[in-house]
Amino acid sequence: MKPLNLIALLLFLGGAVWAFTQSDRAVREVQDLYFSAMSPFLKSGSKMETQARAFLHETRHSKALEIELETVRSELGRLRIIESRYRELELENERFRHALDYKKATHFDVVPAQVIRRQPTTWWQTVDIDAGQERGIGTQLAVLSNEGLVGKIDRIYKDQNRSSVLLLTDEKCQVSARVEGSPEVGILSGQRGRFDGNPLLRLKFLSTDAALRPGLRVFTTGRGGIFQPNILLGTIDSVEKGALDSEALVRPSVNFADLGTVFVVLSADP
Amino acid sequence: MIRYSFITILLLLASFVVQQFLPAFTGIHQSRIMLIQLVFLCSAVTVGPPTMLLLAFIGGFFWDAHCAIGPHGGDPEVYAQQVESLRFGYSILLFGAMGFLMQGIQPLFKQGKWQFSAFLSGIAIFLYLAAEYAIINFVRGDFILSQATFMQMVFTSLLTMLFSPFVFWLLFRVAKSCDHSINPDAGRKRRHAY
Repeated sequence: MKPLNLIALLLFLGGAVWAFTQSDRAVREVQDLYFSAMSPFLKSGSKMETQARAFLHETRHSKALEIELETVRSELGRLRIIESRYRELELENERFRHALDYKKATHFDVVPAQVIRRQPTTWWQTVDIDAGQERGIGTQLAVLSNEGLVGKIDRIYKDQNRSSVLLLTDEKCQVSARVEGSPEVGILSGQRGRFDGNPLLRLKFLSTDAALRPGLRVFTTGRGGIFQPNILLGTIDSVEKGALDSEALVRPSVNFADLGTVFVVLSADP
Repeated sequence: MIRYSFITILLLLASFVVQQFLPAFTGIHQSRIMLIQLVFLCSAVTVGPPTMLLLAFIGGFFWDAHCAIGPHGGDPEVYAQQVESLRFGYSILLFGAMGFLMQGIQPLFKQGKWQFSAFLSGIAIFLYLAAEYAIINFVRGDFILSQATFMQMVFTSLLTMLFSPFVFWLLFRVAKSCDHSINPDAGRKRRHAY
């Protein structure tokens, strides 16, 4: 081997070892710098992707959308009437609470956001949303849709109004879960190598004699410090009994193939 | 030579920008065009080992910055068995290994047979993805390979390989503008023929 090649190889290996030994904080700083530099291109890329998806969706479903729009319009009118009644009841309730010196039972502060980019990496199940630090979003916050839990915030793009969400379908997104009507609790996560459509989730560490049946709903327990309790995760599809524990396959309540608007939970006091 | 090497580095950095505009094809098993890896592999066959290693370091480093996901978080008592992620920096070694693979057929490329390199770039992309997936399996335990994953790797390699003639064409143009020959044997043969 030529001396120059040998020196280059040694420098390369030294550089690789240096990169390997970086702390999580240092990696995040490198990522912040990288995404700051990429910021204008990320915005344009996301915009193009959103427009392309919207166009494809529109051409595929234009007739169905027309019918849906009509239904939604009539439903909206009905809901507006209900909402005005609801507001009145809320005010009335507030007055009664005040009179009885009650504390507010719950506080659930959410930020709505749109999915602007899907799966920017090869192996991780993530999406980017158009809400970031400016709207009070930080890492490890739960992300919901009106159907249930979507995932959690994995990364905030510094000085950009966007963040990355690790989806519930990713193996790394673990959620402490319970099955309704049973004492069973376990850890729910996505399955490796399942990317198509709506993959099933795996609920691990259930007891061997878990009396579970398909159709039972699975909710968050609220333990673990990330996800609030009683958020719907999905329904049991099948149960696999093992020698030491049981596992259940769970069909997610959220349609991950058609994610549009999501809500980031900023705070939720019990 | 130095000018050419410098431009290949710029091309690699530019590929990171273009990659932002290339989404995954959900209809084709979530496959995608891996432009960064392709530009690196095509460049690797046209330069010497020191430049190739520099390209591998830059490519791997920024690719990991692009892809790395954060730590799990949450209470470790509840999430006792946390799922491991790929360590930052692993891509540098994978890029280096794929670069050496491409350099293995540099003699053929120098003779002007770039088609072999184009074909090998597809194989190298497949090997790259397979190695990445194998490392994920290794750090997380249990070897799981679904048909969907296999098809994703195959179609990603094929789609990416289709773009390799374009990247080679670009590299030839760059070399010409820098008065540098990336396939000197082919040039010599042509001169002999005349």
